[in-house]
Amino acid sequence: MRLRHAFFGAVAILLIALAAGCVERPQGGAAPDSPNRLSSGDLVEHMKEYDGMTVTFEGEAVGEAMARGSHAWIHLNDDAYFEKNIEEGAPLGGQNSGMPVWVSADLARKIGTFGDYKHEGDIVRVTGVFHAACPDHGGDTDIHAQTLEIVRRGHAVVDQPKPAKLVWAIALSLAAGALFVADRAITGGLKA
Amino acid sequence: MLKPRLEDHLVIGRYTGKVIIGVGLLMTIPLLTSLAFAEWDTALDFVIGMAACFIFGFGTQLVCRTDKDLEWSHGLVVASGSWIVATALGALPHFLSGHEGSYLDAMFDVMSGYTTTGLYLLQDLDHASFGLNMWRHLLTYAGGQGIVVIALTFLFRGTAGAYKVYVGEGKDERLLPNVINTARAIWLVSLVWLAFGWIALAITGAALGQSPVRALLHGLWVFMGAWSTGGFAPQSYNTMYYHSIVYEVLCAIIFIAGSFNFALHWAVWTGKRTEIRKNVETVSFAITLTSLVLLATFVLARARVYTDAVIVVRKVFYQLASGHTTTGFSTIFSRAFVTQWGPVGMLATTIAMAIGASACSTAGGIKGIRVGVIAKAFFHDVRTMLSPESAVVRTKYHHVRDVVLEDAVVRTAMTITLAYVVLYLVVTVAGVLSGYPVVEAAFEGVSAASNTGLSCGVTLPNMPAALKALYIVAMWLGRLEFMSVFALVGYGISMVRGK
Repeated sequence: MRLRHAFFGAVAILLIALAAGCVERPQGGAAPDSPNRLSSGDLVEHMKEYDGMTVTFEGEAVGEAMARGSHAWIHLNDDAYFEKNIEEGAPLGGQNSGMPVWVSADLARKIGTFGDYKHEGDIVRVTGVFHAACPDHGGDTDIHAQTLEIVRRGHAVVDQPKPAKLVWAIALSLAAGALFVADRAITGGLKA
Repeated sequence: MLKPRLEDHLVIGRYTGKVIIGVGLLMTIPLLTSLAFAEWDTALDFVIGMAACFIFGFGTQLVCRTDKDLEWSHGLVVASGSWIVATALGALPHFLSGHEGSYLDAMFDVMSGYTTTGLYLLQDLDHASFGLNMWRHLLTYAGGQGIVVIALTFLFRGTAGAYKVYVGEGKDERLLPNVINTARAIWLVSLVWLAFGWIALAITGAALGQSPVRALLHGLWVFMGAWSTGGFAPQSYNTMYYHSIVYEVLCAIIFIAGSFNFALHWAVWTGKRTEIRKNVETVSFAITLTSLVLLATFVLARARVYTDAVIVVRKVFYQLASGHTTTGFSTIFSRAFVTQWGPVGMLATTIAMAIGASACSTAGGIKGIRVGVIAKAFFHDVRTMLSPESAVVRTKYHHVRDVVLEDAVVRTAMTITLAYVVLYLVVTVAGVLSGYPVVEAAFEGVSAASNTGLSCGVTLPNMPAALKALYIVAMWLGRLEFMSVFALVGYGISMVRGK
């Protein structure tokens, strides 16, 4: 019985230690506010009020431009990560929020970098008409942009493995390997 | 109440260990994905996660050595207990990614994945790695089949107790006489759908302007989210990201198919095509979905939310079919349910989510078969009242074969339905007590408890921790359909108070 208690105790301690010590906590500092007078949150929260209004909207281009003939879809996020993302050390600032933008494909081609795990995307400013339920696009909420300018170019983000994780990964793998060998030797492995 | 003996603990520990080894093996796929895309830090997250699972799994097998086979109560405890351990350990890669505000948030997302719910607290999804996205979607795909089914398929070899664990996970159909073969049949159906669905979505994604690699990955992940009725998507915009009716139609076909009973799939697979229109669950689903779509369409058309009839029907059908199948995909912003659809639109969606889809599928909710059985019982009672006293009234329903409606079946359906209704009430009241308006609290609470995943903006990282914990329990209870969770609770009580 003692062996069992020791084993489950060790597993519990291991999990707590992992949770507590393995992750570099986000650096201090508040997440930035939306750069827009009317943020994506405001637009969604007051759809009727702003429907059909010309708005200027700024945000990080994420994902990709999806060209459809002479036009393209892009997505601009004006959330806590539009200047810097978590991989670069940005503090957690909630979930993503932004706006889909329908823009000419020529203008969309000006965007050089789109945000993803390995990139912080270009910050883009568009001016266009906000639609709460666009009649041209199946009722989607969007902005039909007439102008597009690049406010700041995006950049690559380095995926640096954290040394503490490496140490934990090696130590736990060795422990798992040892238990596997012991299990095979004593119980005959996975046979039910 | 009998106090469990040492042998009981050993057999439960041994089989739980096996299931957790299965979870560790599953992490190989996101690990390889991370390595393929040179996501070194993410790869370490999965090495740590796998090692933790193996330490638990092999360690438990080593400590819990016994020849005793599973009994019914053991099977139920293993099923529900495995989900807890799998959630605690499966959350490691989420937490280590740095995208979660706390370990509770990470566990919320993993339980949401396993239970094919689709609500999430992960932050900055649009900058998440391919490896983490693969894990999120794999969780929901595997959870849809049942993580115990995975272990049954790959790790249990012909044990007589396997069926007891399988039932404990909320599945009770035997497609084939042997439960291991049934688990493999479920995989066969799912993998064939995976091949066709993935190809169709990837080709469409490429045609919509995605690069080949992103089209392939998004196609795979969206398929997994749809087929498992999970509702996770790789971008924060969910399926609105694609702005495509073709993509929407493909998603709808896949998630409706995914919400059908595996027994129905197997019947069609073996040539009984008429089963689709005769089965009590498909009939029930068609009636309730059509009624709710008509209601929401009428309300939204009258409020002039959308400009023309085609758009209203497209939007309403997609969100409601997604809700009814407990998928959780959406092509509107979460808050649009509140700011555009209004209380009646939200109520229609809430009812759809509450009912859910088919039993023994990847879907959640009360389930069509119970709604069908209760409706049949109601009409049976009406007919009995209207018939002469000497008349014998018999009612049948069709589920793979014609089944005579018996009181025991009706009572079981009513019991589980009542349990769901109580759960829906509890999560709604908890939401209201946390400060949310009642319609929003009901919408979000039912979404969690029915394993749907549509959100009206309540599920956020800054929501109260107690509500997050309650939603985790609700997702777990809803997915396992109560009985195995009650067995686990009873097991815990008997350990303390039993004789």
